Amino acid sequence: MKLSLLVLSSLLAARETLAGQLSLQQARFSVLGGDVSPLRQEPISLSPANEPDPVRLGPSDTLKLAFTVVTKEQDSDAEPKGVQPHQTFVRFFDKQSGEEGIVPVRVAQSGKAKFELSMARPPSSLPPTPLQGNETAPLTVSLLMGSFDHSPYSLQLFDLYLPPSQPAPEHPDEKTFHPQPEIQHTFRPEQKLPSKFVSGLAALVVVGGPWVVLLGLLSQVPLSTPHLLSPSILPFTVSLTALEALLFYYWADLKLGQVLAYGAAVGLVTVISGKTALEKRGEWRLQGKK
Amino acid sequence: MAPKSTAAAKQPTTSTPSALHETSPAAAGNAVQSLLKAYNETTSPRLKLIDAFLVFLMIAGVLQFVYCVLVTNFPFNAFLAGFGSCVGQFVLTASLRSQVNPANRNEFKDVSPERAFADFALGSVVLHFFVYNFLG
Repeated sequence: MKLSLLVLSSLLAARETLAGQLSLQQARFSVLGGDVSPLRQEPISLSPANEPDPVRLGPSDTLKLAFTVVTKEQDSDAEPKGVQPHQTFVRFFDKQSGEEGIVPVRVAQSGKAKFELSMARPPSSLPPTPLQGNETAPLTVSLLMGSFDHSPYSLQLFDLYLPPSQPAPEHPDEKTFHPQPEIQHTFRPEQKLPSKFVSGLAALVVVGGPWVVLLGLLSQVPLSTPHLLSPSILPFTVSLTALEALLFYYWADLKLGQVLAYGAAVGLVTVISGKTALEKRGEWRLQGKK
Repeated sequence: MAPKSTAAAKQPTTSTPSALHETSPAAAGNAVQSLLKAYNETTSPRLKLIDAFLVFLMIAGVLQFVYCVLVTNFPFNAFLAGFGSCVGQFVLTASLRSQVNPANRNEFKDVSPERAFADFALGSVVLHFFVYNFLG
């Protein structure tokens, strides 16, 4: 709409400098029914006071406009001659919504022009005409012409009532722009611990059973630890035990950083004591000592 | 004569399977007994100690697995830690056993028994660290 106003105003500004003036001859419109029977046929008056009654189109009706564009030299009595303007449009304007649609019209070189608006196949540029109460809002139909050689020309033709337009088709993504139904999460039921009796019995069997077997087997093996308390072996055993105790304490209470720090310290001691202990053990082995 | 000989020839063929059936448990028992005897006589006490520990680990792992299948695996991390520690310790101990076994001396010429025990101790500490992490 803004664009058309701009074009119009610039054309109006240029009016004074241009020679001649565009005009219409034999302008008339007709409404044809779906079976091509003429329902209404009227000439179009060039004076705005004689605007015809509003035109109503049914869903299968066709509106036809026919006119001849002529130019008339100022201060001359010469016969007006047909001319082809550079731009010719029919403009449909909805005053209420401010929407407009502009449809170009083909004008022959002789100035003759025909325009057809078939409601069976309406052009996509028509403004939407939603139903308001029992009726649609009227569209103001006007004719706009522009030419390099002539002053611009505009003529308000009539008010037009169109059949109600279909609602705009819903965009595939339309529903994603509305509140969605709330998401209900379903969770697996909480896992249950077995009864105290069952888990206690199982703990007894799982922990106790292997120990019974181990102790029974160890009782069959003649074992002697003659060097357990020797000063070279004992630190290694103690520091290994300390490492394991530290890991147990880690499970019970400590944080990862703490256990890594303490473990590094105890581990260093274990490495040193282990090196001496195992070296001593190696010497004994080479000496043939048990 | 001919029938007799055929009967005699037949008898072993018919009796062989039943004889096998009769003797196989005894033979198997004999084999197991001789195996145990040889094991008891030829294995050093230290290897027997390791073997006892291996049996202990195996039984503990099997019992935990049976509990997991029959009763519940909840909490699963505790099962993983317990079962994993059994399997891991079994692997470490088995490798220790194969390295300190005098019969395998030729296989591990570069690995002294002390070195093998140091590896075992280090591996066990690392394994226990991870197991306690899993225990939750």
